[in-house]
Amino acid sequence: MTKTILAVDDSGSLRQMLSFSLKAAGYGVIEAIDGEDGLNKAKRQTVDLVLTDQNMPGMDGLSLIRALRAMKNYQNVPILMLTTESGDDIKAMGRAAGANGWLVKPFDPARLTEVVKKLIG
Amino acid sequence: MLSWKSCSDDPMNTRIVHLLAGMSLHGDQHLAEVERDLVQMDVLLNEAVKKLCTSFMAIHQAIDLQQEALRSLLPGGMPEPGQAARLDALREEIGRHVGAAVTGLQFQDMTSQLIGRMVQHLAGLRDVFGVLGTSEPADLPESGSDEMLAMLNRLSDQIGARGDERAGATARSTVNQRHMESGGIELF
Repeated sequence: MTKTILAVDDSGSLRQMLSFSLKAAGYGVIEAIDGEDGLNKAKRQTVDLVLTDQNMPGMDGLSLIRALRAMKNYQNVPILMLTTESGDDIKAMGRAAGANGWLVKPFDPARLTEVVKKLIG
Repeated sequence: MLSWKSCSDDPMNTRIVHLLAGMSLHGDQHLAEVERDLVQMDVLLNEAVKKLCTSFMAIHQAIDLQQEALRSLLPGGMPEPGQAARLDALREEIGRHVGAAVTGLQFQDMTSQLIGRMVQHLAGLRDVFGVLGTSEPADLPESGSDEMLAMLNRLSDQIGARGDERAGATARSTVNQRHMESGGIELF
């Protein structure tokens, strides 16, 4: 069965590139334009992995992770942050919120799919 | 809003108010132009990168189909070991180039974040100019440094308060990347 990934980013071109890279590796992709949209889509369908940006208008990535972790069916779903930010403080906040990993933009499609495969097969 | 024009016979206080109003008017006009151009630049970059992405993806898919077609043209649909290795090497090479392009094209996401940040700071500056332009000559006595000092203090407090409001709002982070190579990965 195809594994589904929720890709949350306010940049349309970045979502396009994520979707292209992950679909080429055999995953299904649901796109969301910000944290709130991501949360709504995650409620409608439980996905196998969440990939989220941090800086987005409205609900940011950390808030999305906290909201997802508060949901019973998202307590064990891997969540990865994909962001331009690489400071130790914000990484620690991400970890405390419940992120399973931190990827700094720009991403390399091969390395990204390698990490995703490691987490969900 | 006051005009920039002032005459040499005006009392000092009035001339200061005219100066502030002129700074406010012209500063705001320049900043509005810069803001409009930045937003337009962001729109154009976004459009260009979207088109480039779509084309890259289409090229990638077309090459895959071309390779399949080539295989089917070979006798029995099965390439010789040497040919198969060559086709696989080509596929890998194309994949690497497409991956590098996808990594490089993410400059738009970063520049867009920087542009958003610049626009936020421009809005902060426009706030400052707005405050400078709020004084009217009628608010001031024609002379008296104490009154002028009180007015300048009031403006200074207003500017400080607007700055605090903006600092309290969610500010976009800056982007520190200097190379378009893929960033680090850390699993917790």
